[in-house]
Amino acid sequence: MSTQEQLAPSRSEGAHGGTGVVHGDPVQTHAPAHTDSIHLPRPTAYPIIAALGFTLLVAGILTHYVISILGVCLLAYGCVGWFREVLPHEMHENITVRVQEISIASARKSVGRLPGGAESGGQRAHVGVGAFSPLVGLKGGVAGGIAMIFPALAYGLIAQHSIWYPVNLLGGAGVSGMTGFGNPTMQDLRAFHMATLGFATIIHVISCTLIGLLYGSILPLMPKHPIILGGIIAPLAWTGILFAALPTINPEMSAHISWPDFLLAQFVFGITAGWVVSRSSYYRTAKSLPFAMRLGFEGGGVGREDGEDHR
Amino acid sequence: MAIPVVAQHLEEPGHLPNKGKVGMICLIIGESAIFSIFVLAYLFYIGKSQWGPQPKEVLEVPILNTVCLLSSSLTIWLSERAIEHNLLMTFTAWLGVTIALGSIFLVGTGWEWYKLIYHDGLALQTNLFGTTFYSLVGLHASHVIIGLIMLITLWLFAMTGHVSGKNSERIQTLALYWHFVDAVWVVVFAVVYVIGR
Amino acid sequence: MADASLPIGSLDLTPEALAEGTFREYLHGWVTTVDHKRLGILYVLYALFFLVVGGAEAMIIRVQLMYPDNHFVSPEVYNRMFTMHGTTMVFLMGMPLLFGFANYLVPLMIGARDMAFPRLNALSFWLTAFGGILLYYSFIGGFGLYGQGSAPDVGWFEYAPLTTRTYSQGHAVDFWALSLFVTGWGTLGAAINIITTTISMRCKGMTMMRIPLFCWLLLCTSALTLVAITPLTAAQVMLELDRYLGAHFFDTQAGGSALIWAHFFWIFGHPEVYILVLPAFGVANEIIPVFSRKPAFGYTAMVAASVGIVFISLGVWAHHMFTVGMTSAANAFFTLSTMIIAVPTGIKVFNWIATMWGGKLRFATPMLFAATFVVHFLLSGLTGIMLSASPWDWQLHNSYFVIAHFHYVLVGAIVFSMLAGIYYWFPKVTGRLMDEKLGKWHFWLFLIGFHLTFDFLHVPGILGMPRWVYTYEASRGWASWNMIASVGGFIQFLASGIFVWNLLYSGLHGAEAGPDPWDAWTLEWATSSPPPEYNFAVEPVVASRRPLWDLKHPSDTDTQYE
Ligand SMILES: [Cu+2]
Repeated sequence: MSTQEQLAPSRSEGAHGGTGVVHGDPVQTHAPAHTDSIHLPRPTAYPIIAALGFTLLVAGILTHYVISILGVCLLAYGCVGWFREVLPHEMHENITVRVQEISIASARKSVGRLPGGAESGGQRAHVGVGAFSPLVGLKGGVAGGIAMIFPALAYGLIAQHSIWYPVNLLGGAGVSGMTGFGNPTMQDLRAFHMATLGFATIIHVISCTLIGLLYGSILPLMPKHPIILGGIIAPLAWTGILFAALPTINPEMSAHISWPDFLLAQFVFGITAGWVVSRSSYYRTAKSLPFAMRLGFEGGGVGREDGEDHR
Repeated sequence: MAIPVVAQHLEEPGHLPNKGKVGMICLIIGESAIFSIFVLAYLFYIGKSQWGPQPKEVLEVPILNTVCLLSSSLTIWLSERAIEHNLLMTFTAWLGVTIALGSIFLVGTGWEWYKLIYHDGLALQTNLFGTTFYSLVGLHASHVIIGLIMLITLWLFAMTGHVSGKNSERIQTLALYWHFVDAVWVVVFAVVYVIGR
Repeated sequence: MADASLPIGSLDLTPEALAEGTFREYLHGWVTTVDHKRLGILYVLYALFFLVVGGAEAMIIRVQLMYPDNHFVSPEVYNRMFTMHGTTMVFLMGMPLLFGFANYLVPLMIGARDMAFPRLNALSFWLTAFGGILLYYSFIGGFGLYGQGSAPDVGWFEYAPLTTRTYSQGHAVDFWALSLFVTGWGTLGAAINIITTTISMRCKGMTMMRIPLFCWLLLCTSALTLVAITPLTAAQVMLELDRYLGAHFFDTQAGGSALIWAHFFWIFGHPEVYILVLPAFGVANEIIPVFSRKPAFGYTAMVAASVGIVFISLGVWAHHMFTVGMTSAANAFFTLSTMIIAVPTGIKVFNWIATMWGGKLRFATPMLFAATFVVHFLLSGLTGIMLSASPWDWQLHNSYFVIAHFHYVLVGAIVFSMLAGIYYWFPKVTGRLMDEKLGKWHFWLFLIGFHLTFDFLHVPGILGMPRWVYTYEASRGWASWNMIASVGGFIQFLASGIFVWNLLYSGLHGAEAGPDPWDAWTLEWATSSPPPEYNFAVEPVVASRRPLWDLKHPSDTDTQYE
């Protein structure tokens, strides 16, 4: 593979109406032949004059108003000059292209491939580009988020006689003071509050999406037991963290949470999300591969590597 | 020989957005952040002035100003449409109307400030209301002035026959700025004359 | 004119040609340039200059704190040093450096010939440059109304009411506000330019989901800059209205609030951290795959995480203000929102590790710095999570623990990553490779110095040493920790000296690099080193995320997997 490239450019200057549009954009629209010249914007001193003018204008406030007057003059001069630089026609210079051969090649010839398929059409082990999509994780997160609503509401209804109880707890985590939840009574927690419902929904949606994304990233790498990892271990881990941290962050809220039921809701989320992710077609191919391959590799790692690296 | 990169399937990224418009939208987003800080300050300091004139006592709702500025958004849109169809006379006329409406707004604001300063004794230093009022409305007025300068320049070019339908994207970019100035006024109006009064 | 304004050593095989033009013409070429590559170089050189200046100020701080009851500098000078150190490193070093990288690389990577607005680009740079000069002019011209004051000296976040006329009588505060007002517009211009370039200047086939991750990260940074730097500009205008025209924004005597300045400042201040760190992510995203010989793991997840960080980072600013006495609701909200940032950043760290995993790793200097960046970023993230819990922050706020935490981010993560970037793209810019041996010396000395300083600074923080403290008594038990930190500081300064020497030496005598020294995959390596003024003789056309891979492996292109 080679490409034509240039040598030392020589230039001729001049105002040149680009593409017919006033102040057109010749830089992009031209695709010149190889020895042709390319239009580039002409170097100009007006930006630096305008910048100096603006700085002096401001500096005058700090020192003496005469400096500001000088700054205004320079700024005006720079702006007018700039204006004339681009209107009615943008000023260009033509830079002649001189062609030189540049070769783009790699000393590394071998590419890591999936087992069973050598150079003869075997698929390149290739996770990084294209094949992998966090959308799968996103889907899992959304599904899990919907599924976990039910055990949470059921808990509220059965244990606390109100489906708003968990909603108020979650919403109150963000806004306890704003909604008059400084020291919530049980009555408060069981009643319906528009504000906490709103905040709870926002918090729920954001965290489910983000965690789903995280799932999508991690699960393909450890796909042997998605349900155990995503459904049991991970929820256990973050419930543990929350259990330890929440009394410090928001003791009010922590006191009202029933941790076993909380954990149950998290399990439902994790199992649903893990199940959705594990059903994706990408995941099913990935499961059969060794770990390094799931991460994607080429030219090393598993395959052989020709060509020394000298640099 | 070859183009720098081999491509089996030539794919265009689609029609790329006009760079002037993208740049202007970015500028508008940045400017909106400046305005929102001043608006936040205004909202935060409503009713916190310890002395001096209060908004209720001295502010009059500038109906005429508001109508003028908001309708200038319509007139500049009409002139945008005219230049797109290469109707130079119509374009120049509507542009002139826009400039006139913008100028009426500025004069109106100047009149309002004159009354506030000389009749009601409200200056920037007087109290928190003066501080936040003059800075927020002044910030907006300075944007109107910049917009008017650009519109007048464009109008002068149009009068001397330097504008044609080929410039319409450029003019739309400028119009975008003017629409932004108008939209900001809606916010300023709501904050200063409705909520703050 | 013709020869004099060549970019330094563009693929001109007759470098004597430069000597033909006079020095004045050469200088004129640089001053009037609108070429994105030259402006990028100017940005980076400007940033490196201020890295040395800010570094020297840090050294003065470290010498002052080396011993208990030290009087190396006066308290007044000490105040100026820490204020100017912070201001310099954030506004005159950090942001110009990232805009330099963006300027040079983004057009090359997306196959464009220049930025969208080349003249605005020049204006932005010169505004930044003159603003910086104005700020440093305060050292000699800062005396104000009562003959008092010199350089800004009330801390880089200039809390009210210390900035009112009553307490800061000279012009020092005005210099801070107004010079950064000037650079602020430069920054805004640069951000607009980068966004527009990325959106509107892509070459054929370069869809948004094919642009290199570096460009995505710079796009995110610039978007964040749009909405973060402008609130600071607004707040500075308010401050100056207070100081010059007698307004009452931050005047508590007239019912104004000093607290609202803190809010406004941190609405800018927290996103600023992400403005600085996102480009560092971008650099790592380019270097790690190339030196692991694997494509970047999880491109889409990286993009999603970056965009997520932009949005979340706008809603966390008050975690800098836990000690001002907000409502418990606000405390809980800002604690939770801050912790949520751990998710997208976790995805990133995870993806970098996954990229390296099973790859054929090669630890050349760029990769050494980039891999260390990942480790440091992870560690600083952990102390960040600790500080995000408001009770923990109440204990450690404004202590040296916080100093150590954010220097871990700013030096350990950002500076390491940016150094990796300089080692990586230096061959593209100059056509010569940087010396590996000097590079290794730089890396190891800098690493040792860094850990000596900032690992050990956590301890006096926990022991209660507050930031900005001028000196301390021996009985406090902070002395040995500070001594170790200072020694580490000197080692870092020495290492930076080696780096500067390496830059100069390799720029003149380094080995020829050729167009593609690292066997990389993005478009900037498809043109000569240094690239010609027009970047590409023929506009490139791409069909995958790794156009050069496709070229190098024509029988096995990426395109079939997209
Ligand atoms: Cu922060």
